Amino acid sequence: MSREHRCALLAEAERAELIELADACIADGAQVRVLVGPEVGCVTAQVREPVLEQRFLLGDVLACRAEVELAGHRGWAMRLGDDRAAALAAAVLDAEARSGRPRTAEIDLLCERVAERRERRESQEWAELAPTVVAFEELT
Amino acid sequence: MGYSGARGGLEAILAAEDLVRRKRDHAPAPWSSTEQITTRFRLAVDRVMGEAGLYDEPTAADAFRQAEGDTLEASHLLRAQRSTLPRLAVSEPVDPGEMTVIRRIVPAFREPDGPQLLGRTSDYTGRLLERPDGPPEPAQEDARTGNAERTEEQRSPRRFMDLLRKMELLAEGRTADDPEPHDITRKPARPPADRSAVLAAMARAESGALVALWYRSILGPDGDVHEITLGELRHGRLPLRVRHPHTGNPVTVGEFRVTEAEAIEDLDGADEDRTRFDIGYGLCFGHNERKAIAMANLDIANRRFGRSGPLEQLLLLTIDGLDSGGFLEHLKLPHYVTFRSMVERKQAMRAAAEAGEDPPARAAGPAGKDCR
Repeated sequence: MSREHRCALLAEAERAELIELADACIADGAQVRVLVGPEVGCVTAQVREPVLEQRFLLGDVLACRAEVELAGHRGWAMRLGDDRAAALAAAVLDAEARSGRPRTAEIDLLCERVAERRERRESQEWAELAPTVVAFEELT
Repeated sequence: MGYSGARGGLEAILAAEDLVRRKRDHAPAPWSSTEQITTRFRLAVDRVMGEAGLYDEPTAADAFRQAEGDTLEASHLLRAQRSTLPRLAVSEPVDPGEMTVIRRIVPAFREPDGPQLLGRTSDYTGRLLERPDGPPEPAQEDARTGNAERTEEQRSPRRFMDLLRKMELLAEGRTADDPEPHDITRKPARPPADRSAVLAAMARAESGALVALWYRSILGPDGDVHEITLGELRHGRLPLRVRHPHTGNPVTVGEFRVTEAEAIEDLDGADEDRTRFDIGYGLCFGHNERKAIAMANLDIANRRFGRSGPLEQLLLLTIDGLDSGGFLEHLKLPHYVTFRSMVERKQAMRAAAEAGEDPPARAAGPAGKDCR
C-alpha cells in the first residue's frame, strides 16, 4: 500500500478507531514529538472547469493537519473537519507504518476495513439511487 | 443646531442580545442538534456553506442554528469563522469529471452516455403541503436497501458536452496558457477581471441575488441571456487532493459535495460561429441547483456580453450576500448626525428661498450618490 493511499484511508477512518490504535502504538514508550499542529484551517478547493479548462478557486474546505515524529520517523496526516485528536492519531499511525514498527499490520488492517466500509456504503447508496434511473419506452 | 456627543445604549444592546439568546436557546421545544440540522435541513446547510465559501456541514449547521434559520446571517457567521483560520493548502486542481454522481440529468438529450439519474428530488411531483401530527412511523426495510454493483459509467458518466465536442458542434475556446486563478478572498476583483474571479464570485454569491440577476438578464433591460438550454446538471462528490509534504505526490484528504451545471448557448452574433454552440459553466458547494444553473447561464452571458454592458460589474460587485446585506443592515444603525445635517440643509434652503435669495449654485448630485 502506498503512503498516499494509506493517508487517504486514514483520513476517512473513524475517530475512535484511530485514537485507539494510536494509543496502542505509543504504549510501548516510543518517543513522540509533535512537529506541526494539530492545526485546523482551510484547504482552498481549486477546480479546473471542463469548458475552457481554466482554473478557479471554488471556496475553502475545513481541514485539520498534524505532523509527528515517532521513534525517529515522521508521520503526517490531514483530514477534513476540525477533529484535532483524530488528525494527530492519524499522523501517529502514518509514522508507525512508515517505520515498520509492531503495529504496522494492524494499521493495514484498519485501512482495509475503511476501504471495505467505503465500498459497502457506496453499493448501498447505489441500491437506493438505481431505481431513480429513467428508463424510456419507445412508442411505435 | 450644534453637535452634541451622547453616550448610553450599552445596557440596551446587551439586553437585546440576551433576549435573542434566551428565546433561541431556551425555547420551549427540543434542542436542535447539529446532526439534526445537517440531516433535516441539508439544503439550507448547503446554501450557507456555498454563500460563506467554507465547506463543513457541522460548522454551517451550528451557524444556521445560531442565526435562527437566517441563511444570510449564518453565512456571515461562517465567513467570519473562516477568516480566523489559516490556509493549510491550495488543493491540486480538481477535475469535476471525477465526480461520483448522486443525481445527474441531461435535459437537452434523451439518452446521453450514462444514466438519466433523478436521485433525491421532488422536481417531478406536485408540491403539496404535508401537515403531520408528529414524526412518521419508522421506515420500512425495502428492496432498495441492499448492495448493488455500480459501473464506472454509472458512477462518473461522460459529459454531454464531450458528445457535442465530438460532433464538432462546440465552439473551441480552450487555449494553451494556464493562468493562475484570481483569489477573491485575498484581493477584491474589479472590472475588468479574469474569468476565474467571476466564477469564484458567483460560486459564493447569495443564491437569490444570482437567480435575480439571471432573471434580469432574461426579462430585464440587458437581454444577456436568451436561447439557453440546460445541457447537464449534476450533484455529487468530488475528491479533494493536496500535495503530500514528504513525498510530493497528491493525496486525497476527503470528499466534498458540489452541484454542477452546463448551459448550452446558441451562438447567434454577427462575429460568432453560428454553426456551433458555446457552453457556460456553474459549480457551487453542496446541493443548490438554482444557483449552479444561474451561474452557468451567467458565465456564458458574461463571456459574450460582460464587457459591452454592465454584467461583469454586476457579477463582481453586487451578488455577494455579505456585501449587499451588510450595506443594507448598516442602515439600521444610528444615522442621527447625518440626518440632522440633511435637515439643516433643507431648513437653510427654505430660509434662503423665503428671503428671496437664489438657490445654491452647486448642482445636486445624482440620486443615491450620498448614501454611502
